Amino acid sequence: MTRALLLVASGLALALGGCSKPHFTPDKQYGTAVPLPDPVQYLFPPMGIAKPIGWKNGEMPKVPAGFTIVPFATDLKTPRRVLPLANGDVLVVESSSPGTEPALRPKDLVFAFVIGQAHGPTKAGNDVVLLRDTDGDGKADQRSVLIPKLNSPFGIAFSNGKLYVGETDGVREWDYTPGQTTVSGPGRVVTELPGPPIDHHWTKDIVVSPDGSKLYAGVGSNSNIVENGLEAEKDRALIFEVELPSGAKRPFATGLRNPNGLTFNPETGQLWTVVNERDELGNNLVPDYLTSVKEGAFYGWPWSYYGPHVDVRVKPPRPDKVKQAIAPDYSLSSHVAPLGLAFAPADWPAGFAGGALIGEHGSWDRTVFNGYEVAFVPFAGGRPAGKLQHFATGFIADGKAKGRPVGVAFGPTGALYVADDVGNVIWRIAPYNSAVAKPAAG
Amino acid sequence: MAREAFLPRVAIGGVPLHAMLVPFPIVCFTGAMLTDITYSNSPQVQWANFSEWLLAVGLIVGILAAIFGLIDFLAAGRARPRIGWFHLLGNAIVLVVAMFNNLVHSRDGWTGVVPTGLTLSVITVVLMAVTGFLGWRMAYVHVGRTVGERP
Repeated sequence: MTRALLLVASGLALALGGCSKPHFTPDKQYGTAVPLPDPVQYLFPPMGIAKPIGWKNGEMPKVPAGFTIVPFATDLKTPRRVLPLANGDVLVVESSSPGTEPALRPKDLVFAFVIGQAHGPTKAGNDVVLLRDTDGDGKADQRSVLIPKLNSPFGIAFSNGKLYVGETDGVREWDYTPGQTTVSGPGRVVTELPGPPIDHHWTKDIVVSPDGSKLYAGVGSNSNIVENGLEAEKDRALIFEVELPSGAKRPFATGLRNPNGLTFNPETGQLWTVVNERDELGNNLVPDYLTSVKEGAFYGWPWSYYGPHVDVRVKPPRPDKVKQAIAPDYSLSSHVAPLGLAFAPADWPAGFAGGALIGEHGSWDRTVFNGYEVAFVPFAGGRPAGKLQHFATGFIADGKAKGRPVGVAFGPTGALYVADDVGNVIWRIAPYNSAVAKPAAG
Repeated sequence: MAREAFLPRVAIGGVPLHAMLVPFPIVCFTGAMLTDITYSNSPQVQWANFSEWLLAVGLIVGILAAIFGLIDFLAAGRARPRIGWFHLLGNAIVLVVAMFNNLVHSRDGWTGVVPTGLTLSVITVVLMAVTGFLGWRMAYVHVGRTVGERP
């Protein structure tokens, strides 16, 4: 009788995940072969919302010894992505969700309210902004809107005289030469991508291959775990390979729940991405990850995660797909929400050169906050070669978010630019004593 | 045996609000059980969503009906029917079970229904059949008898 009662009580306690503490710290899940606890089904899934408060005057994130940090631009309107150009100009994508996702369940109404607490009051620009540092002091002194009125843009890339923007419903291109302060026209649609009305994961990150022939676009899933039906996931949770300029596309890799930070490793030419994995299985499930993207590979979503670990919430089961699923290369630990990825140049300080910098937006699906930083994973020979380190921290304190990193990208002089969509800042992190180039004349 | 008539306090034109509202949780919880059974046989999302709305409406209106019923019951004084205690406590349990059921159904995917959601839905309906019967009995037999006996 006592044992039965204890079982019920512990089941109840587990189910009340809102009070549950993670069983181990995130660092136990950095790396390739990481512990994965058993999934738990909750009454209240573990959650922690960080109130967005922004940076007070003079406050900045903390960076490692040997690096400096300055606010390159402030008072932006929800910057998500940053694209430094060879001439020193910096393009910034400002955006917010299209806001079209309908409430199909009572939970959606509650959830919308709760998640809304994590967003700041700023109205997003939904545009591309051009920033220019004309006096070479490391801070932008000119600012203008390059492309206005975009439809929830996120990804941005420049290649062969074309500027590409990944809007939530497709990729557009404009003729562009660095130095231009305006573009003409609404842009040509390169290819459409699945967008609203549901558009649960709305960010469409893009990257152009080093040889300029193909564009890769990440499309996130339309749900957490197919609770909108499997039909809603058509052409979702994958990376498309888009032929340029025709726009013909095919799935390049699938089963990636929400891939962002698509980047080519400069050493190997391999495509890499960071992925936001699924929620509501526990504080330490399922870890978000950094992985190479293998052509034709299936990474598990929705039927399984990290290879063969079946997600029982998906019916009917597909053991054939689970058998095909491969495990990702490197776990970043759970619910860090990685959204940006960039590889450090070879001339960065020893210990950091060639490694991966990851913008971690930060957790909501965990009782103890995780992420809210720029993380660093050392690389050697184009592969992860060491334990994850905290690179830029101080974005969250006392459960309040001063800033939240999104996109990260390197400039021509080796400075790292970080888009912070709660602080509304572009941070510029550079090795101490590195040069700040004046923009090319003309 | 003559007793004072149990006449509900919260009423409009003599019709108690409790009785007006109580069909909602009855129909909603019964419906949710049916859509849960359907979902477990054919996992189409619309059945799970259907269950969630029915459970939410059933709980909210059920709580409202319970409040009015509780006022009626407490205000009855010497006319308080004994059978009412079983109806009250039984339905309190029904609402507590329904509250947990709402939370279980808020899970994404299969585990929102199978097995715990479906089980709670069935338990809710079985309990409700008993407490509901007691309620109707109270209304038609007991109240009717006492009213009929008044000179």
